[in-house]
Amino acid sequence: MIRKSGIGLAALTLGLLASVISAKADFWSDAGAKYQGVVLHGVTESTPPSNYIKDVLAPEFEKKTGIKVEIETTSWDQMYDKAIKDMEAKTGIYDMVYIEQDIIYAYLARNFLVNITQSLKDDASLKSPDFDETHFTTFANYFKNADGDLFGVPMEAFIKVYLYRTDLFNDPKIQEAFKAETGKDLKPAATHEEYTQIAEFFTKYGKDNGLELWGTTAQAHTGHPASWYEFFESVAPTFGVYNWGIDAGNNYAATVANGGQMNSDKAKAALKYWLHLRDIAPPESAASTWTEVGTTFAAGRVAQGLVYGENAAWIASDAEKSRVVGNVGVALPPTDAAVLEEVKGGTGYLGYYDGGAFGLPITSKNKEAALLFLQFIGQDSVQADWAVAAPRITNTATYDDPKVIEMDKQLNGYYSMLKNEGKLFAGAPPFPFHAQVREATAPIFYSILLGEIGPDEGLDQMAAKAEEELTNLGYRK
Amino acid sequence: MMRQSSPILYLVFWILLSFLTLFPIYWLFVISVKPAVDLFTTPSLILDTVYWNNYVKVLSNETIRRYMYNSLVISTSNAALVTVLAFMACYALSRFDLAGKENIFFWTITNRMAPAAVFLLPFFLLFTQVFTIGDWKLYDTKIGMVLLYCTFNLPFAIWTLRPTMDGIPKELDEAATVDGATTWQVIHEVVFPLARPGLAVTFILTWVFAWNEFLLAATLTSFNARTITTGLSEYVTTTGTEWGAMASIAVITLIPALIIFSMVQRHIVAGLTFGAVKE
Amino acid sequence: MRSNTVGWLMLAPTIAILAVFGIAPFIYVLYVAFHHWNPFGADPLMTYNGANNFRRLVFDREFLLSIAVTIKFAFFAVVSEIILGYLLAQLFMREFPGRGLFRTVHTLPLIVAPIVVGSVWRLMTTPSIGIIPYLLKTWFGYDLNIGRDAGAAFLLTVIMDIWHWTPLVTLTLLAALLSLPKEPFEQAQIDGANRWQIFWHITLPMIRPAILATVFIRLMDALRTVDEVWMLTSGGPGAATRYVGLHIWKIVFPKTDYGYGAAISVIVLYLTLVMCWLLYVALVAPRQKKEAE
Repeated sequence: MIRKSGIGLAALTLGLLASVISAKADFWSDAGAKYQGVVLHGVTESTPPSNYIKDVLAPEFEKKTGIKVEIETTSWDQMYDKAIKDMEAKTGIYDMVYIEQDIIYAYLARNFLVNITQSLKDDASLKSPDFDETHFTTFANYFKNADGDLFGVPMEAFIKVYLYRTDLFNDPKIQEAFKAETGKDLKPAATHEEYTQIAEFFTKYGKDNGLELWGTTAQAHTGHPASWYEFFESVAPTFGVYNWGIDAGNNYAATVANGGQMNSDKAKAALKYWLHLRDIAPPESAASTWTEVGTTFAAGRVAQGLVYGENAAWIASDAEKSRVVGNVGVALPPTDAAVLEEVKGGTGYLGYYDGGAFGLPITSKNKEAALLFLQFIGQDSVQADWAVAAPRITNTATYDDPKVIEMDKQLNGYYSMLKNEGKLFAGAPPFPFHAQVREATAPIFYSILLGEIGPDEGLDQMAAKAEEELTNLGYRK
Repeated sequence: MMRQSSPILYLVFWILLSFLTLFPIYWLFVISVKPAVDLFTTPSLILDTVYWNNYVKVLSNETIRRYMYNSLVISTSNAALVTVLAFMACYALSRFDLAGKENIFFWTITNRMAPAAVFLLPFFLLFTQVFTIGDWKLYDTKIGMVLLYCTFNLPFAIWTLRPTMDGIPKELDEAATVDGATTWQVIHEVVFPLARPGLAVTFILTWVFAWNEFLLAATLTSFNARTITTGLSEYVTTTGTEWGAMASIAVITLIPALIIFSMVQRHIVAGLTFGAVKE
Repeated sequence: MRSNTVGWLMLAPTIAILAVFGIAPFIYVLYVAFHHWNPFGADPLMTYNGANNFRRLVFDREFLLSIAVTIKFAFFAVVSEIILGYLLAQLFMREFPGRGLFRTVHTLPLIVAPIVVGSVWRLMTTPSIGIIPYLLKTWFGYDLNIGRDAGAAFLLTVIMDIWHWTPLVTLTLLAALLSLPKEPFEQAQIDGANRWQIFWHITLPMIRPAILATVFIRLMDALRTVDEVWMLTSGGPGAATRYVGLHIWKIVFPKTDYGYGAAISVIVLYLTLVMCWLLYVALVAPRQKKEAE
């Protein structure tokens, strides 16, 4: 409901806004005049932020510039396949493609994308006065090349946070029981030991009281890469294993023998820690992707868990989908004390900062018009309503908007955390081979989850497999 | 033995079996009338409250209506085209003494064997770079999908129709020919009426295959010719699957399918009056 | 004898369409199969590498495993569907009240799109909150967890396939049964043949081509099934339901390994062809011999 009325409201305000500034008119109508009759085509995933572009921003842009924009929203893997086929075959179907942070390096390596900074410099008549690259949050850095030129306009950004149930954590009876059992006060965990203890406590508490309640989520699907991601993006870093344990500076080594970290003792400890959590998580965890983890939390079946930021907002605020509205606390993922030092020192990270941008394929036949649209969605003025309709933030100014501050309260400080602690999180490693290595090693990972091989031996095999695949791809010499 | 089994027994058997058949469809309906928040709680076989919002959302969505229309046009045209072509092909295979016809017959089916994933690439190139006239591409057109679906539907239709065609005694059309009927008259007045149940089944099933196809449509259409199955996949996202919306669309898509079915059913039944086997 | 030209003309459109949309793409795939081509490899261009892709797949354990589970899946699914489908078709031949209604009911699964079928079955079988595990647990105390139990997941994909596709078998066989002439059956009854004899000596030989066609269709569709299984299990747990269509899908889509994916596709196509050809020969040859006698 929130989302729906949000979009309606946003459309209304945008409309009002438009009528107000049309007097000052108008870069957009002037710039658009040259491209009448052009129809821009974009492809993106059908998520709320993208749907907002399709339903609100694109029509608004058309009204101002006369340039029609058709946004195709599709499923995640279809979106990639279509964008890649188009750019690879140079068909020029799309003028805008969604670039998830983890694929930008692959696209850059292939020179699939137009340099936005450079293009706007080259043709000043295209540059909107309302668009400023420096207004983006640090997330935009993922879409820049070595020279700091921008290749994608950020349109969504999230952090994978530690969510806990405030109603349970603040329940005096539960607090008392926890104290009696562990001798400690019940509060969100800061370390792995604390997290495990709380998880064990709640799983037992649920069992003892006949409740459908467990101590932790686990995104542990045994056939879907979601489990692989949870381990390498969210768990291993908190044990000090970064970038999947692959050392790009050292000939892409993955095994300890060659200088990598994928099968290091830290990685093995991380995996055992997570496997134990999986075992005390609700039974559906073995078939859970990010979707089910979100719904498990929203259904009130767990006391705490790591949840993608995309889902954190609706879990905390959308009563149509969530049973725990108003009872969701946000905290930093638990981590090792030593790792926290590394993270604060800037050499590590403690969780996943994901999101995406809109980029312009060099095969596009309407680059100029597309540049206009990209600037349109990157303006500060459209951000706040967008954030309310589909919780995501990409521009620093958005944090200070009253509507967003109001929402931040509802989300128990999720936006504040994104703003203040966002720097502690990191996106996917800068590898041009993302899905390739993931898919090569995932089958072994599933075997570990099923107990067909032990975690130690399994990680050894995965590291070896990663190197083999990297050799096969030609990155590892 | 066989003549004694009472109709009541049949009825009981069919009702039990129908429960099994209908259960997943019933469950689809259950999902479609539940708010997302109720999907992940202890399930219950019985539906206590009905929540129509998913339907309201879906029916008011203009895009979904367009997808539905595209799907109807594509699958109906494809099924009609395929049925006609397969009828002609089977008549040729069955009635003429063509050199190597059995090999051709077998070759047709090989077109259905290919695993689709890899073939998407050549299809994509064909549609975007080969079949183009000026700015026009076969890509993202309904006609493109109608033609493309022939690759898996034509072999199917030819293989299901051939036995029917072979089963129609040649003596009948020979007799008609002797009586002075033209080839067209033989086909129209002798073969066609007898092949009707087979044709009806072929039409229904090719229609179903086209209606349900996902991978090719997802890759080879984008704005104009998108079908309802690709629309369904839009509800599977990284921010969660919108089960309710997806299920309500799925339930709605059953309706046109059912209408087509009941229209064509008559022709299957028509066969009963001709060659019914009473054991 | 009529002129064969008419026959060829009637076949021509079919041959033309299948040549353009069937043979042309196949040649392209065959071409790619002899190349190293991963657009996100260090060398993103297509480079000729002889039969290396084929050499690689002979030692690819994952691929071989996937072939094995696919064959197992196709075997169980298709055999059950043919037997069940035939029995249902026979039953539909009889008169009983509400026959039309039941026939419609039993074609319903067909009109549900595979991705929807997969989704519904996934929701029905979500461990501990799906209706099926829930009922199994409360009625029989059996814990069904498709995320952990490979055997159960495999079985579920087979059952789902049977549920979805048996109506197709029923319909095609029903059409075949309906077009059979009456006389041989009446004659056999006059001669006092029993039910089994009628089935074995009259019905079966007469509908054998239809059965063969149906087996072929179901077999090749089962061998390349993707959508439903992708939605239900994503190929898990482990590799238990990573059927070859899905395996290829994973190689071509996320891994973008076009060269290797093409090689696997060619091999799978070849294997399917051989399997069908053997079946064809086994089922058609004896009939032709008999006819010759």
